Formats: sequence, structure tokens, C-alpha cells
Amino acid sequence: MTAEEQQMVQYILQLIRKPSATIDENAPLVSSGLIDSMALVDLLLKLEDLTHKRIPSGKVQPKDMDTVAKMFATAERVGKPRK
Amino acid sequence: MDALHAAPADLPFITAWIDEDESESVTFAEFRQRVRSEAEALRNSGLRTGDRVVIIMPQGIPAMTTFVAAMMMGAVPAFLAYPNFKVEPSKYRSGLQGVTANLGAKAVVIDADFPEQMLSSVSLDHATKLIRAGGNRVAEGLGHSASQAEAAKIDPHSLAFIQHSAGTTGLQKGVALSHGAVLRQIEHLAQSLKIDSATDRVYSWLPLYHDMGLIACFMLPMVCHVPLVMQSPLDWVMRPESMLQIVSQYKCTLAWMPNFAFQFVPRRTPKSRWAEYDLSSLRLLINCSEPVRASSMMEFQTAFAIRSTVLQSSYAMAENVFAVTQSDVDRDPVTIWADGRQFRSAHRLLPVEKEGPGAVSFTSSGRLLTNQHLRIVSDSGAIVGHDCVGEIILQSDCLFEGYYNRSDLTAQAMIDGWYHTGDLGFYRDGELYVVGRKKDLLIVGGENIYPQDIEQIVNRHSAVHDGRVVALGLYNPELGTEDIVVVAELENDGLLAKAAELEAEIRGMIVAGLGIAVRTIFLKPPKWIVKSTAGKAARSATREKILREHPELNAEAQISV
Repeated sequence: MTAEEQQMVQYILQLIRKPSATIDENAPLVSSGLIDSMALVDLLLKLEDLTHKRIPSGKVQPKDMDTVAKMFATAERVGKPRK
Repeated sequence: MDALHAAPADLPFITAWIDEDESESVTFAEFRQRVRSEAEALRNSGLRTGDRVVIIMPQGIPAMTTFVAAMMMGAVPAFLAYPNFKVEPSKYRSGLQGVTANLGAKAVVIDADFPEQMLSSVSLDHATKLIRAGGNRVAEGLGHSASQAEAAKIDPHSLAFIQHSAGTTGLQKGVALSHGAVLRQIEHLAQSLKIDSATDRVYSWLPLYHDMGLIACFMLPMVCHVPLVMQSPLDWVMRPESMLQIVSQYKCTLAWMPNFAFQFVPRRTPKSRWAEYDLSSLRLLINCSEPVRASSMMEFQTAFAIRSTVLQSSYAMAENVFAVTQSDVDRDPVTIWADGRQFRSAHRLLPVEKEGPGAVSFTSSGRLLTNQHLRIVSDSGAIVGHDCVGEIILQSDCLFEGYYNRSDLTAQAMIDGWYHTGDLGFYRDGELYVVGRKKDLLIVGGENIYPQDIEQIVNRHSAVHDGRVVALGLYNPELGTEDIVVVAELENDGLLAKAAELEAEIRGMIVAGLGIAVRTIFLKPPKWIVKSTAGKAARSATREKILREHPELNAEAQISV
């Protein structure tokens, strides 16, 4: 895992209030019910912070945010330089 | 349909906003043209007057075109939620099968780009035809006069469409509405909101299968010739800040949203960007479809410096087409304070000084539209006093025709000509306050969810004692909406050691079945759940017990009756 992915994992554990749990970069988060749709924006904002990119939400589906690895791949695919 | 034909041709109608770089717009004339062409295509696919047709398309102009095209050719459309990637295709299909069988639907219409790999979610037996929207089109202009003639023949007593107000497909009730009822609702609502087609512009992120999205943010703009700027609920929830961008950019004047959104938008928009948005164009921002909280509205108002009279409220339901009440559009919302203990123990309203110790507040949902009549009744059906809480029952000239093909459910809800809403409230000085629910329903972010759908799934887990599952909605002040909490009894004490693993399995089952992520799952030892005399799990007693044992769940969850 990269340092950014590691930071994302820490953030997610806080978000789901399970600081002592472990998740790897391929663990499903949305499709396993750990993350609900109202928390997707938290992940998106954090992802923008970590990648220093602007991610157009219209180009992102919840399934693109299902694992930490997919989140970073999505940022790579649709992310744009920040204004 | 006449209203659509009468709209000024060049007036912008729908702008579908995707993101900063992408949007699509149609004028009324362009929309009309697309509708005619799609109506012909549906007719060519074998659909006829009176046929029920289910529409499963992503939120956007093509979905809206298909819906109106079906109405124009005299068919009866119903929007259903798009398959969610979290839900197993077989689960989605069986829910859909239930709905189409009950409606006797002739066809399911999907979008032109519906993914091949998801087709298994919507392939039904041959009684229901699968149609791709935009197919079978005839050359533009052809068949034009035929569909206009068809539109002219619509009988106001005939069904206009069917609304399924819950996002899940399990326990679905299809609310059947006539053309006459829909138009009467819109007429009274437009009057109450002082709609001005020359200056108003609606903003919406609300799903089209929900009454707020369909009636307030699609039918009303279409009939009253008001431009509409919309986005998909999914795009909005991924970036609630986009609402601020859209309202600022398009100078929207009118929007509806459920209570939680009033705090979700400011809390999920970086504070450093709050001042970038100019919401001064907003005339009315209406809190509707879940209990109204003054604190949530205040949060939005403070964050974006809008006038207090912009914040309004409404009480609405699909069975009444939409609104029952609407707050006075020129006045601040009305909030009253009452003694909390009296309220909880006696369900009686004892007004007290603002924010005194133990006081609870209630925000009005507004005054009755002029075509609505209501009563507040006790369990025995007697009318209660103005300071008492009871069930809200109503009569109006825009009530539904019944739950489609479910005379049993209709008879339970319509008693002696009064529609029993299942909501609890009180009516004071001409204002309606909605304070709780008698019916088994969870409302999460404005979306209706039947607890039975969740309980049924959890019951299937082998470690769970059959029939001993309760799904509850508890108010979460952080989110401004209900959290879903599941309480389940395990088969034996030994299983408690594996609780974390079982919890993850149950969570996965609920998401695969319904696409819903529950907040907390409590696994309890045998005999923990409170049973009713019939041996069934008693919801309200279990709710009280879980709140007692887990005070961290918050005190506010206990306010509602």
C-alpha cells in the first residue's frame, strides 16, 4: 500500500468508528455495507485531498469507490488538476 | 398533456446537470418533439392505452421523456429505482417481478445504454416485454397528428401513473393516481407557492420515483411552464456541494429537500468555500418528506446567509399525489416549545417558554392546502383535542384511486372516506405538526424503507433465531435523519463469541438484498427481544429496551412518540 492509501485506510476506520479494525486496499467497503451512500462524499473529499486533484462527481459511480485501490485508480482516471 | 402542448416553444424546460463540464438542456418544444417520437416508438412496440409500463432508467431527460410519452399515449407509467450495483441481480429481479406481476405490466422500459451485464436484473418472463427506450423510432414528424389526437382523448378519471414511494422493491405499494387528481394537486400547490412561470426556476436532485421528485420537481414545472435544473441523486450525494454550484449558476428560486439535506450540504462542503456561493435567488427551500427540525434548517441558513423566510416546510405523501400542507411562503417557519415529559408520557402538548429545561421543540409543516381536510384521531377513531397527538387522517379532491391491484391494503388505509396516513401529529392554530409514526416505516434521508424488508433478510441467517429480528429507525442528530439499527437474537449464547463475524455477514446480506447499509447491528442472547402477546417481536418495546441499554444511541431518538 502507498502512503496515501494507508492514510485513506486510517480515515475510513475513523469514519466507520472501528479504529482497531484492519482493512486492506482490496477490501469491499460499499458493497459490504460498511460504507453507506451518505459517506461517499467524505471519501471523495478525502481522495481529492490526498491526490491534489479535482474529481468530477458526475464521472464517478459508487462502485468506483468500493475499495481503496479502486478509489485511487478512479482519481487517476478522471481526476483533473485543481483550479 | 394539454399544458405541455401549451407551453411556449422556446422556453427552457429541463437542464440535466452532470458536472461542471457537462450538462444537457431541452426547451419545451424539443421535449414535446422527443415525447411524441417516443410515444410512437412505444406504440410500435405494442403498448396500448391503459397498459401499465415500468420505467427503469437513470435520472435524466430520456427517463422523463419516456414517462410523459407513456402518459401521452394513454399508458400508465411507473418509475422504479435503477438497479444498484450493491444489490444481487437475482434479488433485484425478484423484487421487480413482484412489482410487474402486481401491476400486470405489459413492458419494462430500460435506457438505450443499459449495461449488458446487468440485463439479468431485468429479464422477466415473456408476459412482460423488455423495451429499450429510443428504439423503434419513426421518422420525426410522422405519426405526429396521431399522438396528438391520442393525447386529446385522455379522460380525467383515467389513471395518469403509479407511484412506488419506497426505493426498495420488496413490500411495494403502487399508488394509483388519476389525471384529475394530479392536476388538482398541482393547481392548489402552485397557488399556495405563488408560482410565477416568468421568474421561477426549480432546482432538484430528488429521485423521480419519489413523490417529491416526480410531482414537485417534474410534473409541477411541466404543467406550470417553469424551467427546471436537475441532477441525479447519486451525483448529488457524492458531492452535495454541487447543489450550491447549480443554484448559484442558474439562479434557481425553488427547491424541495428532506430534512437531513439541510445539514448534509453545509457539513459536506468545505467551510472555506461557503462564501463562494450566492443563493440570493432562492425564494423557497422547502423541507419535506421527513420530520422537520428547526435546528437543521437553521444550520443551512447560517452557513449560506439566506433570508429566514426562504426556509419553508411541507407535509406530503404519494397517496395524496403530494402536498397536504405548505407553510406560508411569506413568513418565517413556526416553531413551538412544549414540556418534554408531558409530551412523552401523555402525548399531550403543554406549551412552555422557549428552550426551557426539559422542553422539546416542534416545527410546523404548515397550513392545509385549500383542497385538504384533516382530522387528528385517537386509536379508537375519536377526534382528539387540539393539544393532543393522534393519527393524521385526511380527505381531499386529489387522493389516490387505491393501491394498484391491492384492494386489501387500500381498505386498511381508506376508512369511511378518510385516508389514514399512519403519521402522528397535532393541529394547532391552523398549523400541522408531524411528530411520529404509527405505521412501520423507516425514513432515511427522505427515502421510505419498510422494516419488514430488512427483518425478512436477517431472519434468513442461520445463527439468528427465526422471527426475532427488529429493524428500527433512530434519529441521528449528526446526520439529521434516521439511522437504521437492527436488533437480532442469536440461536444460543455461544454464538455471541462470533458476533463480529456474524455482524459482517448480516450486513452483507442486507446490502446484497436491498442495497441499504445499516448503521448498527446489535446481536443479543436468546429471549432478549421483547415479544408481544402474539409472540411476535414487539417493535416499540424493543426500541425502548435498546435505548435503555445503549444510552450512547442519543437522547433525541427518544423524543418522538
